[in-house]
Amino acid sequence: MSYNIKLSNFEGPLDLLLFFIKRDEINIYDIPIAHITREYLEYLNLMQSLNLHIAGEFILMASMLMRIKVQMLLPRTETENLNEIEDPRTELVQMLVEYQKYRDLSHEFGRLEEEQRQFYPVNGQVLTQNFDPDLFLADVNLFDLALAFQKVLEAHPERKTMGIETIKINLSEQIQYLRHLFEKRGRIKFIEVVRQLRDRIEVVVTFLALLELIRTAEVRVSQKTVFGDIWLTKTKHGYEYPIPNA
Amino acid sequence: MNTLSQTHKIVQALLFAAREPLTSEQVNICVQEQVDLAAIVADLNSYFEAENQPVWIQPLAEGYRLMTRSEYEPWISRLFQNKGKLKLSRSALETLAIIAYKQPVTRVEIDTIRGVTTVLRPLIEKGLITINGRQDGPGRPLLYGTTARFLEYFGLTSLRDLPRVKELEEIVADEKPDPGQANHAIE
Repeated sequence: MSYNIKLSNFEGPLDLLLFFIKRDEINIYDIPIAHITREYLEYLNLMQSLNLHIAGEFILMASMLMRIKVQMLLPRTETENLNEIEDPRTELVQMLVEYQKYRDLSHEFGRLEEEQRQFYPVNGQVLTQNFDPDLFLADVNLFDLALAFQKVLEAHPERKTMGIETIKINLSEQIQYLRHLFEKRGRIKFIEVVRQLRDRIEVVVTFLALLELIRTAEVRVSQKTVFGDIWLTKTKHGYEYPIPNA
Repeated sequence: MNTLSQTHKIVQALLFAAREPLTSEQVNICVQEQVDLAAIVADLNSYFEAENQPVWIQPLAEGYRLMTRSEYEPWISRLFQNKGKLKLSRSALETLAIIAYKQPVTRVEIDTIRGVTTVLRPLIEKGLITINGRQDGPGRPLLYGTTARFLEYFGLTSLRDLPRVKELEEIVADEKPDPGQANHAIE
């Protein structure tokens, strides 16, 4: 089975680079290009191993990083005036600084949004009421779920034995199973749900069932820290969409 | 300040009835005389405060709007269920930040800063941004800007209230030529 999802954990290649720069306490005006290129490519490889679709912008940035790396390695002739040689990193630094400025500002806007949300106009509509859910942020994205899914799959190695088995579970059953779990407890860790499963196919079907419940808004997903535990919470007002037959 | 003049009451009624921020021009037309709206709003706000009313008047988008007080948020959010809890996504906030400061701006300029392709349609549909004509030059690309609804959504009075660009601005201003094309706004 293959699934393609967007690299949505980071807004784009610049966001990803700024993440490395912050994490490794790098001076943005003196970026160790070999180090950052290695980190960047490693991340893209991780995406690939997860079957995640890598957007063109990420590839473009990879080629830019490698070009800069090559330019840094090229020997310079002695006749060239050192002051006149432009640092190959200049363009990248400008892009990062400019993007960072607006990214920081967007956090300010997020804060303003949060503040304004305490007030409701006495008449007229709440501005967000008819908003397209796609425009808005869930607490966790598909990427996080896919990573968690990958973790579970690793814990369930493919069986090497041969033989034909009938698949004993189907999607609607797993949806019922999940609903049953949520009836007992309103809030469950994703890892707890899948830990008790024995088979890869069970994991896959349960994951699909979970996606279905998220789609119908019966369950909400949230995560405190990056790569942290993913929590599943039963919502009070799930829409009653018909569940498709498996 | 416990007795309100007739004009105060009229303004209060207008605020109750208006479906968007009320401007002094509108009030002047309705009352048919020149009114110091800012002063009346200040009086009404202290009246609401003194009377412990659950509402206040917020300056928003070059006007004033009657709003509930923040302490009633828990109940009202239950009334609207979780719909009121929706927040703009990170990419929407980034895009709005760029448009707010660089307007009028083309999509290419936005994409250049963000390093990714930006989808503007949902923001236009929600009335947060709008098309402000076209840029002179090759392809005559569309120019985008923010709306009054944008100001209202973020609780701003005018574009002059935008959050300050921090010290980064100075560092960048030294050497940075304008990214993308130069602005040849139509307006």
